[in-house]
Amino acid sequence: MSLNPPSTGPARSISFAWFAVAVLVAAGAAVAATAAYFEIRQNHPSASATTMSLTDDVGRTVNVPVNPSRVAVLSPSIMDSMYRLGLRSHVVAVDCYSAAFGGLSADYSSDQVSLWNLSSSMCVQVGPTLNVEQLLAVSPQLVLASTIISVADVEEISTTYGIPVLILQPTTLSGIVLDVDLLGSLFHASASASLLSADLALGLGNATRVAQNLTNAGTPFPTVMVTYSPVAAGSPSPGYYSFGPGTFGTSLIELASATSISANSTLPYPELSGSAVLAARPQFIVYGTGFGLGLPDYAQGPDWSSFAAVQSGRAIGLNSNFLTEPDPTMILDGLPALLALFHPGVPV
Amino acid sequence: MSAAADAVDAASPHSRPPHPGRWRSALAITLLGVALVLLSPLVGSVPIPPTEVFRIILHQLSGGAVYAQPCAGVTDSAPLCSAYVEIVWDERLPVLLLALLAGAALGISGATLQGVFRNPLADPYLLGLSSGGALGAAFVYVFRIGEAEASLVLPVLAFAGSLGAGVAILLAARGRSGSVETLLLTGVALASFLSATLTIVLLYNPTGSLQVSFWLLGGVGGATWNRDGVAFGGILIASTLLVLHGRELNVMQLGNDVAQSIGVPTARLRQRLILLASLVTAMAVAFTGVVGFVGLVAPHIVRRTVSSDYRVVLPLSAMTGGLFLLAANDLAVTVLPGTQLPVGIFTSFAGAPFFLTLLYRRRQASTMGDS
Repeated sequence: MSLNPPSTGPARSISFAWFAVAVLVAAGAAVAATAAYFEIRQNHPSASATTMSLTDDVGRTVNVPVNPSRVAVLSPSIMDSMYRLGLRSHVVAVDCYSAAFGGLSADYSSDQVSLWNLSSSMCVQVGPTLNVEQLLAVSPQLVLASTIISVADVEEISTTYGIPVLILQPTTLSGIVLDVDLLGSLFHASASASLLSADLALGLGNATRVAQNLTNAGTPFPTVMVTYSPVAAGSPSPGYYSFGPGTFGTSLIELASATSISANSTLPYPELSGSAVLAARPQFIVYGTGFGLGLPDYAQGPDWSSFAAVQSGRAIGLNSNFLTEPDPTMILDGLPALLALFHPGVPV
Repeated sequence: MSAAADAVDAASPHSRPPHPGRWRSALAITLLGVALVLLSPLVGSVPIPPTEVFRIILHQLSGGAVYAQPCAGVTDSAPLCSAYVEIVWDERLPVLLLALLAGAALGISGATLQGVFRNPLADPYLLGLSSGGALGAAFVYVFRIGEAEASLVLPVLAFAGSLGAGVAILLAARGRSGSVETLLLTGVALASFLSATLTIVLLYNPTGSLQVSFWLLGGVGGATWNRDGVAFGGILIASTLLVLHGRELNVMQLGNDVAQSIGVPTARLRQRLILLASLVTAMAVAFTGVVGFVGLVAPHIVRRTVSSDYRVVLPLSAMTGGLFLLAANDLAVTVLPGTQLPVGIFTSFAGAPFFLTLLYRRRQASTMGDS
């Protein structure tokens, strides 16, 4: 066996490698060019003659058809607004939570799926996963989605298939009212939108007035813990998920004239340990129900039976959707429920 | 490489040419692949007649010259026909191509790393490449950076995160002995560090957390022709450079001392191969998210059914990986009608039992042969 390398070996190897690279670069460029050609050549749906330019909740400016008759609604909270505005007949596809449960847990009916007249065949999105094939099969003119939709899907739908996507994800309670107005103008439903907006403004105004009256009367606001998910004692990290700063849960609590024990957390959705809740001694505990969660689940959390609010019977369940879904129901049902709980007897 | 290396290469048990039975295995994999590629466009959430699918493909390829009315006889509805064309041409075919490309990238990357580390458990994510890519993707989902240009920004950040992790490992291990153990342990430490960073980032944005969780399960649903074009160019170049190192990898299996004694610069070669494997993995991660198990299982299937010669293992691992990911994606869109599940679930669900069966049968055959 010879151990002396022939002098031509490395040179031949290198030149072949460069040759291969050159060939493959050319091949890659050719394929990319071909792909681009096909992508450009494809026929996008022609834009409607009647379009309007709107800025959505994440600051995107989108050209959308006015009063579209075929709309995909990929969020239970947007579906709530569409239903309340009498626009159900425009909806041809929905997210699977809306189709299966009428939202994560029904807002205002035990049979909300029937109320919304939805079927599982209309479901095109599970969580952030969009089934593009099924969406295309119903030929929507517009997609209304929350920020749960993948940014890549938004790009694909709007760029590849030419279907405009409007993101409706309000970050404040007043943002919910603005989105209702936006839908009203988009669908030529200004009358019903005005009525709904007036109801929402009234709900927010009443809550503000109650807070003002309580402050004027020197009545202290109660301290509360609002939790939407427990982690059982004995788990590696037991506790209660709660609302921190900048969340709808905290905004609702403040508007309902109460003080959240987790309002100053560093996280938007902190997990509170049992000892932290014991130390804060909230006067009320509100636990989110629905979607498979109930009192027995929370009762398995750390120190539950030791909490003063539990011992005094001030631990009350409330539909989680009232606290987490940014839609009209949050203001029309969630806010009055919290006010009645924290301030019984105070007229709203 | 030298003539000495050629001689050692020829004597190496890893380089014995496949016997005829093994060639039949290679042929079977190829035929299975052809069948799978032909059947995959028929699979999807929306039922479209098979003849209609092929009419649409021919219609689009010919620019409308063949089958000018591709939906004739199937539907008179122009919007439905338009939807069928979009589903087949702009959805299913790009997905098929991306599955093949990404699977091939993971397969050849896994084979390379198993050869470099001489460790059968090595796979493209061992060095923290997935954690780096996930952290890059999380910046888009959590901080909504570059949202308007997400189709470009997401793969670029995921690519940068993944490749950055690979480069960081090489740099960190550079001043040391550069041994296999140092590289491996540096990778494991970096993966752990990046995962912890990702957890902290996600704590501040639960919505982003859900999206990143799905991204971590992987998928080829975001495929477009443009993305496929970019992935094709990058993966083909890097993979071809890897295939050219098959003989060196054969020699490296004989150990550092032997390889160095015949003039193979093992330390430099190892760095080059890891960099190329990181590059090809990053290309896949950028467009598919994290798809597990493909890089681990594909090289083993080839070694156990065809040959241990890295000149064969590398290209066939690419082919097997591509077909494996394509089959997993077909399952992901058909198992639950109407629901598209993350493909990563199926690479593990379908891959693990298959892999165990293969291992068990080989062990049984060996035992019987021994007795």
